[in-house]
Amino acid sequence: MIQVSGLQKTFHDRKKGDVHAVRGISFTCKPGQVFGLLGRNGAGKTTTLRMLATILVPTGGTATVAGFDIVEKSAEVRRRIGYLSGETKLYDRLTGRELLQYFGALAGMSGAAVAARIGALTERFLLAELLDVRVGKMSTGMKQRLSITRVVFHDPEVMIFDEPTAGLDVIAARGVLTLIDDLKRQGRTIIYSTHIMTEAERICDEVAIIERGEILAHGSIESIRDRAPSRSVEDVFVEVVTSAGGVNGDR
Amino acid sequence: MTARTTAVFRKELIDTLRDQRTVFAIFVFPFLLYPAMLMLMSWIESKNDESAKELSVRVGIVGEAEIPGLKEWIAATPGVTPVTLERAPERLDRGDVNAVFVVPPGVEAAIARGDSIKVELLYMDTDNTSSAAAQRVRPILDDIERSLTVSWARAMGAHAEAAPPFSVARRDISSKTDQGRFFAALLIPYLLVFMVAAGAMQTAVDATTGEKERSTLETLLSTAASRGELVMGKAGAVLATSITGAVTGITGLWLTFNVVTRLVPGMEESALQITIGADKAILLFLTMIPTAVFLSAVLVAIGCFARSMREGQTYASYVYMGSVFLGLGSFGQQAPEQRLFFIPILNTALFQREILTDTVNMMHAMTAIGVTTGLAVLMLVVATRLFSNETVLFRT
Repeated sequence: MIQVSGLQKTFHDRKKGDVHAVRGISFTCKPGQVFGLLGRNGAGKTTTLRMLATILVPTGGTATVAGFDIVEKSAEVRRRIGYLSGETKLYDRLTGRELLQYFGALAGMSGAAVAARIGALTERFLLAELLDVRVGKMSTGMKQRLSITRVVFHDPEVMIFDEPTAGLDVIAARGVLTLIDDLKRQGRTIIYSTHIMTEAERICDEVAIIERGEILAHGSIESIRDRAPSRSVEDVFVEVVTSAGGVNGDR
Repeated sequence: MTARTTAVFRKELIDTLRDQRTVFAIFVFPFLLYPAMLMLMSWIESKNDESAKELSVRVGIVGEAEIPGLKEWIAATPGVTPVTLERAPERLDRGDVNAVFVVPPGVEAAIARGDSIKVELLYMDTDNTSSAAAQRVRPILDDIERSLTVSWARAMGAHAEAAPPFSVARRDISSKTDQGRFFAALLIPYLLVFMVAAGAMQTAVDATTGEKERSTLETLLSTAASRGELVMGKAGAVLATSITGAVTGITGLWLTFNVVTRLVPGMEESALQITIGADKAILLFLTMIPTAVFLSAVLVAIGCFARSMREGQTYASYVYMGSVFLGLGSFGQQAPEQRLFFIPILNTALFQREILTDTVNMMHAMTAIGVTTGLAVLMLVVATRLFSNETVLFRT
């Protein structure tokens, strides 16, 4: 479960002064649910997810992940999350096996547990072809498969995906979405940010449209669609963002 | 050390050992660089000697008539042509002569009066030909001195036919072992300092700034490892690399002077017996550790602060230059003052020299180790703080 209440993040920039990246957003993401955070580039999605992953510290509001406060119990939070961003990379000089061993150890798993987990995930993630190859020699799709394996490797309760299909081809992106569907069925709590509306329509149960750090619309996919029955979620997104004065590169 | 710190340490070492540049710098370079440098220097020296032997030089004489036979003495020296001059030229690198004997006027009268006489050999050390000319005719100065002494003795009424049978000479009786010990005491502390700094640079920047540049930082920060565990693991790997670099560097130097010089014909003259006992080698190693930790922590802190690899490498090169500068400060400190042992890096170099020359002062030892250990701990805390500070970590 993720519970966010009035979460804020302000960065101080020497030239621009205070930049309010996230302005008091609130939402709840339940187990077995994919919560979509929809927004344009720079809307505040990544900052929100980084705060939930305890990479950044909020400047206001509160949030709990898996029942632990993200500021007070950040170490407990990190033990229970898997974080994947489309922009993050892996270590080119490590093999797939070494990479999983490394992140398994960082998650507190023993050597035996790591070996057992690799065995358990090999078939599901087609790891056989990844384990003994250095990351630098892998294709983009192989790297993404390894990245996702890393996220689920320590069996986290909560998964945070920040535009995980960015830069992937259609086949690889579809593989990622299928996996997220599987994780949802297993009862994981999943928060998923994207600016691709068709992805959100396919996998999200509930979405929030975020613009300039504020949530402009929030609800189930159906309730969002009900705002304009004849149109898609993308149409609604454009309408909501436009009415808030947020189109035409005006940030 | 926690299991997570060990995991970071291990991963960084694997990463480092798979970086061909680092492997070459640590494991190959020291065993190629020093022998190559020594061979090159020996070759240049022997070439210079050969050139000097074949060189024909012209030596001017001002006041030739004052010392009868001087021109013949000079002419008898192989490869030297005497030239009579009215006065000494202002420069020797452009003129007709390469060196000049200047004999003052009125030598005979001066001897008769018992006055002092100053005969000079003018040459330019900055000009190879002039320097070679001076070296070739220098024995003639001794002959002139003896001749003038005999003339003076006769003028004083003594019955002297030849120069007196006494001589005053300097003779270096230091053995190859003594020379090796002196060389080791002078150079090894300095070399250790700069090799530790050089060995740590690449790994430190790669393990910290590299995480930012390769976009792996977020993934790492979202794991269950604390920032302190991450920094300690990275600093440990940097430390291991730097110490390995220093050990291979010193081994390369030892092999060069003790083995390569004996194997390569014509380099025996360069051979030095650099022999350090096991006890001193262990002490050098142990005393190096606080400085290595300090430098590793400084470089990790800088790596956390830098925005890009280029920026990190620039900052790291400043640390390297600072280390070299402080290490060089140990040269010429025959009896270092207590206050110098409060300066990191310099204090270790000075203390290690005391170890190598059996002149350890306990107060110096405690100050050097204490100050460096304290600063190393402080820098590790600073590095952890920087790695925990999102403003620093994500600054653009």
